[in-house]
Amino acid sequence: MDECGGTDDREAAALLRAQAISGKAKPRLNERRYVRKDGGTIWAQVAGGVVRDSAGTPVYTSAVISDITTLKRAARMSEQRFRRMVEMSSDWYWMQDQEFRFVDVPGLEAPDVDTDVVIGKARWEVNGLAPMQESWDQHRARLRRLESFSDFVLLRYKTSGELRYLSVSGEPLFDEHGRLRGYHGIGKDITERARDQKALEESEERYRLLFEEVPCYISIQDPELRIVDANRSFKENFGDFLGCKCYEIYKHRDGECVNCAVRQTFKDGRIHHNEEVVTSIKGEQLNTLIFTAPIRRADGQIQYVMEMSTNITPIRELQSQLESIGLLISSVSHNIKGLLTGLDGGMYLVNTGLQKNNQQRITQGWEMVQRNIERIRGTVMNILYYAKKREPSWEAVAAPALVEEVCGLIEPKARGYGVALRRDIDGGAGEFEADAKAMRALLINLVENSVDACRVDTKKPSHAVTVGLKGLPDQMVFEIADDGIGMDRRTREKAFTLFFSSKGSEGTGLGLFIANGIAQAHHGRIGIESELDKGTRFVVTIPRSRKVPDQGGKPEP
Amino acid sequence: MAAEKKTILVVDDEPDVRTFLSTLFEDSGYATVKAQDGNEALSRVKEKAPDLVTLDITMPNKSGVKFYREMKESAEWRKVPIIIVTGVSGEFKTFISTRKQVPPPEGYLSKPIDKTEILKLVKKLA
Repeated sequence: MDECGGTDDREAAALLRAQAISGKAKPRLNERRYVRKDGGTIWAQVAGGVVRDSAGTPVYTSAVISDITTLKRAARMSEQRFRRMVEMSSDWYWMQDQEFRFVDVPGLEAPDVDTDVVIGKARWEVNGLAPMQESWDQHRARLRRLESFSDFVLLRYKTSGELRYLSVSGEPLFDEHGRLRGYHGIGKDITERARDQKALEESEERYRLLFEEVPCYISIQDPELRIVDANRSFKENFGDFLGCKCYEIYKHRDGECVNCAVRQTFKDGRIHHNEEVVTSIKGEQLNTLIFTAPIRRADGQIQYVMEMSTNITPIRELQSQLESIGLLISSVSHNIKGLLTGLDGGMYLVNTGLQKNNQQRITQGWEMVQRNIERIRGTVMNILYYAKKREPSWEAVAAPALVEEVCGLIEPKARGYGVALRRDIDGGAGEFEADAKAMRALLINLVENSVDACRVDTKKPSHAVTVGLKGLPDQMVFEIADDGIGMDRRTREKAFTLFFSSKGSEGTGLGLFIANGIAQAHHGRIGIESELDKGTRFVVTIPRSRKVPDQGGKPEP
Repeated sequence: MAAEKKTILVVDDEPDVRTFLSTLFEDSGYATVKAQDGNEALSRVKEKAPDLVTLDITMPNKSGVKFYREMKESAEWRKVPIIIVTGVSGEFKTFISTRKQVPPPEGYLSKPIDKTEILKLVKKLA
């Protein structure tokens, strides 16, 4: 290579030519630099040779000259770039001998580093250096295997107490015989980058924490309404079913909701809100206020929609309680108007009976008065049960006696309506743990309901209500069956709903609602079997002993 | 011989109210027929058309409303005056406002019933 060749180097060129002609040098490729008149440089590649006659005498020289200026420039630029990159990517260069001891660390010019402390020591002998990913032993073994390494991160504790992150890369160096001369490589101070990375991780962690701990249910949904991520509150209440459809988890059904807010946000990219009733994994119905917001990709396309729901059940419950009180007042006043009319009627019959000295009329009127007073008592009791959610006052209750007592109370009324009251009592049913007053109210409500169902039925000539009791080993089963009007599906489904009454002017819609509440307070249940025009059968199942045993005394505060 | 007694049909699902009204009307010189729901009332009307009906519209299965409509849509019984007796005043207003195609009742009274008032109304209409 003729790196320093040029037109100003004519002597060297002449010498080469002389050598070629004399046969001392073989023809070869040369690169030459020429300076143009305007001062510019031209690089040329010269392929030359000597043409001789048959006797071997040189006749002339010939050469093919190519302009390689552009190629040359590109190569030089590339080399410069490479050097600059190495300079930029490293803060210092280091060399070690065969024993991995530093022999030179040019560029390591930090004001607090005394290179003398480093020179002559292996990396693991330098004070205040600690490896992060692998141990010194592992690093040493790697060097003994003559492997190159990159981005070996070290922590350096400075005497000032500051902590720096260093990254070193290196490779073994060999002499021309292939023997190890040592290692060399570069080092970088990556403290700022590491801190940025740490800050980023912390920030991500903070946001994740916020996402997880925010006291509402958050789910991230794809365009198929599949849940791809959810926060802790969501998973705790609705299960960790990532990948399932939103409506499967929230609504326990296999069809999309009408006016799905997530769907709307996918469509228009706006925030939507909605109120939904959802079902938790425990089967609780929760009223939720839902907000949806788009999550976009860098190109602006909506990739996911975030659905955030707040449990507003307590608010709705309060609202419904207020509505209930309003309904209670209107329902009760309606009921009382009917009862007052009955009382008025009874009084009229008694008064006119006295005037006319008509004993039969007096008796009839007095029965009306008594009946309506009894009904007012029942209504008032139900209002009290409704107004105050009482904890059962537990005692051992003899079931046969209780049923007998209830039948005795209702029998006169039933007889008055021409309804036969039959008993099917298992006399050996024994005792069960219950609130006697509450259980009496429950049974009175159900038996009265059955008598009323018979009374309003004009399709059959006679009616009967059968009150049954069976004592099972762990539960008490009460059955109240009638052959009255029966219930259609809607009435049956709404039977235990507050203020739902199918009794026209007479019902307050409280009775069955309260009976059901009492059964639930006793950890029992009421089942209904009913058919329109055929009759109804209530089956009340109450455990013999309460489920949560009282430890005695008041609960711990 | 005195003129034949006018007949009042008392329709109420509550037996005590039926007893009360029928006794009251009989004491005032009317004959009475009783029915405990709209269907039974219609059968009584078919047997013999009354001179007046007192009707509770708040009865099970809405049979009171159905009975009222059938009476007012029938050429034969349209003229029979009906006094609506109900415990819910709001219900009566809804009843009237949603049934523009049928004429309003001849009389309306709310429970509890004022004896003098109902007798005055009956005397006027029957």
